[in-house]
Amino acid sequence: MSLRLGAMLPEVFRHLFKRPATVLYPFEKNTVPARLRGRPVMDPDKCIGCRMCERDCPAEAIEVTQESETRTDDGKVKRRFSMVVYVDRCAHCGQCEEICPAKPDKAIKLNEFFEEAAFDRGALKIVYK
Amino acid sequence: MSETFVLPVGPQHPALKEPTSFRFKVDGEYIVDADLRLGYNHRGMEKGCEARTYVQDIYLLERVCGICSNAHMTCFAQGVERLMGIEPPPRGVFIRCLMGELERIHSHLLWLGVAGHEIGFDTFFMYTWRDREVVMDLLEMVSGNRVNYGMQTFGGVRRDLDGMQIKTLLEGIAALKARTPYYLNLGATEPTMVARIAGVGKLPREKAIELTAAGPTTRASGVDFDVRKDDPYAGFGDLIPFTIVTDNGCDVLARVVVRAKEMMASYDIMEFILRNLPAGEVRTKAPRKVPEGETVSRVEAQRGELIHYIRANGTDKPDRVKVRAPTLANWPSTLYMLRGAYLADIPIIMAAIDPCLSCTDRMAVISDVRGGEKVWDWETLRQYGIEFHRRRGIRP
Ligand code: SF4
Ligand code: SF4
Repeated sequence: MSLRLGAMLPEVFRHLFKRPATVLYPFEKNTVPARLRGRPVMDPDKCIGCRMCERDCPAEAIEVTQESETRTDDGKVKRRFSMVVYVDRCAHCGQCEEICPAKPDKAIKLNEFFEEAAFDRGALKIVYK
Repeated sequence: MSETFVLPVGPQHPALKEPTSFRFKVDGEYIVDADLRLGYNHRGMEKGCEARTYVQDIYLLERVCGICSNAHMTCFAQGVERLMGIEPPPRGVFIRCLMGELERIHSHLLWLGVAGHEIGFDTFFMYTWRDREVVMDLLEMVSGNRVNYGMQTFGGVRRDLDGMQIKTLLEGIAALKARTPYYLNLGATEPTMVARIAGVGKLPREKAIELTAAGPTTRASGVDFDVRKDDPYAGFGDLIPFTIVTDNGCDVLARVVVRAKEMMASYDIMEFILRNLPAGEVRTKAPRKVPEGETVSRVEAQRGELIHYIRANGTDKPDRVKVRAPTLANWPSTLYMLRGAYLADIPIIMAAIDPCLSCTDRMAVISDVRGGEKVWDWETLRQYGIEFHRRRGIRP
């Protein structure tokens, strides 16, 4: 291959007339992908309290607590659980959602929220009850 | 008469964003001798693995490195699968392989940009990084996130591909396939670039073998070693065709050429995968406990051969996990390349092995062979430090 000075120049000139490849975040935002693993959100109405998410979370970001135990008229025990998620520790791996056995809908899911920065660490301790 | 002196570089230095320390014996602009000190970066990950379950470990090990996260995940997953005695279904194998190649593309484009930056060619850096966004978007579409894809698991992969995604992947790959020859051409013909990389960082073939260089570094010295060929995994060998890329240039230019051509080979692999994707499940069920045993798992990461050693004791936590990253294999040859080079070529010679200290570095414990253990309190240690420097004529 022979050397060619300025091999890049045509490309450089063409870019004078192109739109910038970057967006002006945070004023402009790209759409997030449908599969994004954002913030874990738990629904206490669906949780059966198996604690599989707590056991599997690699970042130890989940704490499940039993809130109440009631007996229905037909003698069934109904328990309600609350959850604390420390999103500053969360690694967004999605293992909690994957392992959750609640049916027909999972009790913990990762949503599309990704802007987790905060000035106060306390704001990153999220309680679902 | 020539006079040499020792120039310490690092642990913090502009040539690399990660800590590593060099001692260069220089004669004017020439490097007469080079020595390396590792051990500045300790993250306790191998030990951390022993305290966590396998399921947690796979995510921990994914975070050994941000660039080759998928390689670490794959390496650990296939090692543990071997111990469990399970195998992923064919569709899972194909998607596992696809992720590895997508990651290789993003890493090589990143590396090309960094190489351009290290020799002061920032236009090149901007173009490659812009085009890298194409593959980043594909990775994001398949896995959900740009870094740490979390795709591999014991017994397969965690997410399937649908028809729309396969179409988008093929389009993205076609766009990159059209673009890559431009970089290959530029790297090999632009005089300002060629002048900085041709003949720099020479590593003859026999030296590459002797010093156990890995990955594109060894393939650019004409050694046709690639784990994908020599110890096939993830469908290579029987299901997925693959051609090995080598070059006989033995210099930084050859490393640019090998990486660019490797990207072309990866596009072919990915197109084959997407056109011949078997139907069915993407993962099989894996047990939580791993039977007693030990294994060595190897993967051709973008930087070279990555090795995980796993020892299981029958519980749900491993007994020992050891990670050998490709950069460690490449340090001896880097020192060889630096000897006789110019001072100004240090950044590009180092960058040419695509070093990654976060994968490589471990804490160094130096045991005193003369025996005896000394426990010093803070004050004694401080006094020792002051005395040490005073003896060398430095006043505290
Ligand atoms: S996404 Fe991963 S790290 Fe975050 S809470 Fe769920 S399991 Fe834990
Ligand atoms: S895995 Fe699901 S059901 Fe079980 S405790 Fe967690 S959120 Fe509740």
